Amino acid sequence: MRETAAVEAHYRDEIPVRQGDPFAVRRTEAVREFFRAGGFPTARLEDWRFSDLDGLGRTAYRRYSDVPTLVPPKTDELPEWVGDFGCRVLLSEGHPLNADEFQHRDGLEVGNLPSVPAPDERHDWGFVAPGEEPGGTEADLDAPLRHPLEILNAGLFECGFRVRVGRSQDAGPILLYSLRHDVGHPAMLHPRSVIELAPGSRLTVVEAHDGVSETAGWTNPSTLCRLGENAELFYVRVELESGNIAHTGRVTFQLARNARVHSTVLSLTGGKSRTDTAAILTEEGAEVDLEGLFLGVGAAKADQHTLAIHAARHTTSRQLFKNVLSDEATAVFDGKVVVAPGAIGTDASQANRNLLLSQKAAVHTRPRLEINADDVKCAHGAAIGRLDEDALFYLRSRGLGRMDSHEILVRGFAGEVVEKVPVAAVRGLAKEGLTRVRESRSFAA
Amino acid sequence: MTALLEICGLHVEVEGREILRGLDLEIPLGETHAVMGPNGSGKSTLAHVIAGREGYAITKGIIRYGGEDVSELEPEERARKGVFLAFQYPVEIPGVNNTYFLKAAVNEIRKHRGQPELDAVDFLGLMRDRVKLLDFDEDLIKRPVNEGFSGGEKKRNEILQMTVLEPTLAVLDETDSGLDIDALRIVAEGVNRMRSPERSFLVITHYQRLLNHIVPDRVHVLQDGRIVESGGSDLALRLEAEGYGKAAAVTA
Repeated sequence: MRETAAVEAHYRDEIPVRQGDPFAVRRTEAVREFFRAGGFPTARLEDWRFSDLDGLGRTAYRRYSDVPTLVPPKTDELPEWVGDFGCRVLLSEGHPLNADEFQHRDGLEVGNLPSVPAPDERHDWGFVAPGEEPGGTEADLDAPLRHPLEILNAGLFECGFRVRVGRSQDAGPILLYSLRHDVGHPAMLHPRSVIELAPGSRLTVVEAHDGVSETAGWTNPSTLCRLGENAELFYVRVELESGNIAHTGRVTFQLARNARVHSTVLSLTGGKSRTDTAAILTEEGAEVDLEGLFLGVGAAKADQHTLAIHAARHTTSRQLFKNVLSDEATAVFDGKVVVAPGAIGTDASQANRNLLLSQKAAVHTRPRLEINADDVKCAHGAAIGRLDEDALFYLRSRGLGRMDSHEILVRGFAGEVVEKVPVAAVRGLAKEGLTRVRESRSFAA
Repeated sequence: MTALLEICGLHVEVEGREILRGLDLEIPLGETHAVMGPNGSGKSTLAHVIAGREGYAITKGIIRYGGEDVSELEPEERARKGVFLAFQYPVEIPGVNNTYFLKAAVNEIRKHRGQPELDAVDFLGLMRDRVKLLDFDEDLIKRPVNEGFSGGEKKRNEILQMTVLEPTLAVLDETDSGLDIDALRIVAEGVNRMRSPERSFLVITHYQRLLNHIVPDRVHVLQDGRIVESGGSDLALRLEAEGYGKAAAVTA
């Protein structure tokens, strides 16, 4: 392992230097803060025990823009399903592919979050400055933004996505698609994206991370979604990266009064991923559904961390995370609900259900509740099981084959999450994922 | 005449315990036979072993269906040859739509009979027909299989599946249990409508009540894993009046 000082020097060298970047100083502070706080998280930390990402700190990743051999792919190399979206923003190796396509109409702005922001837009990047104290509230509302890899992203971020929906507008489905390739050198991507919904607006958006690489790769995206009063967001996150790409992503929702979020994280990764989904219910009546589905085959590993902060009265969060694990796939679910003092009438529920299709598949589940208010409803539960033998016999006794019966039950299990996704192209990706489960070594073995 | 179902000297173990101990049973094509017996006599084991449930080990004896030894066949292979089991406890399958499941099953069976698969329109037409005959709530066929169904609805769903799959041998495992008198009548009518010279039924029950509605050609008494007495439909009435103790005494 390399010396910490050398690692820190390497990442300081990787800070993008852009003319007129108002965050130039901030970037340096953020990288310094990241290493001062311990650098790359290891399995010795409670929050990272099962994440299995110790290798991150041992590889000298470089930004794509520093790799001279980079050739952006042509649009016709994109997977077919991407074509289903009339409105899409495409990144390849972190570079905009179709920036010229966007015309900002009244009430809708779709495009890239540039790597060099205008000076007055600091707030739009959703930063918490290193060491900044949380402001005034009794709940730590900035906790998701002080995630160590969020801080590193704040230092190294380049291009990402930006969607702004104007008051009372209805937009979507919009695809935000980031693709990466093997460039023969360990490469990293730190996209930073902001999605904003003005009061009363509605948006369906899909954020997808795709790519295959034999050479070690790392994607560390941050997405911040802000919802005004009565706004409604359907957010779907699709993780498709495979091979030796490690994915550490975060999405944070900030909800104002009566705002609603339905979020689905669909993990079809072939590698290792860790995703932190956080919802901050800052005002009365805010409501969030956080759902997730991991279809694990081979040695894939998905670690889902959730955080729902109830900071106001009468707020609701429902979490449902499901894992289908074949071969040696491993899933982690670490779900946390925090009810702030005074947040009476909170209604929080959390469920993690796991279907193990192989003896070698494994799951670690940890529900956590921190309740600091009275008159709240909080429910949580976890279940780990195999396919029901009675159900299998029932299906087979009706003439359905062994493999088909297994598949029908697995699809039924996954369907509870998949069928709620309001985008047909994404449901199609889930079906492909289920086909890979059926074709996996351990399936119905 | 050869029997459609022919079971000779059948011994079956479940989890190391012998449940069936030399059972003999013959059902000719076109006949309806009832097997009655007290709790623990092996009724459900008989039903499951005919359908091919895993974990039911045949240690001795043979099951012939249509003249063929089917003891080693998978449950789906038996189903495709026309064997149907109406479950005593139909399984709830969350997330799997009733219609989707039944269409997949029908087409699997049609495929093996060399018939063309039904498309969605034809299938829905067929379903609508059968649903009406059974006085089955049409909303139920759109729901996940048996999920949230009442006991009676589950049993009716079994009979609905039977009428759609059109088996050659239907085994009804305590289909009457948990049914009120109206539901019992509807289920029995569903079965009676299907009786034909081309189809046989094995009606397994604890009580004689069901046999007032489905009048069998033969009645067999199962006790301690063996058929201890056989007779006409009047045997059921006698058992109802005298209890199972007498039947055992006759053979003792």
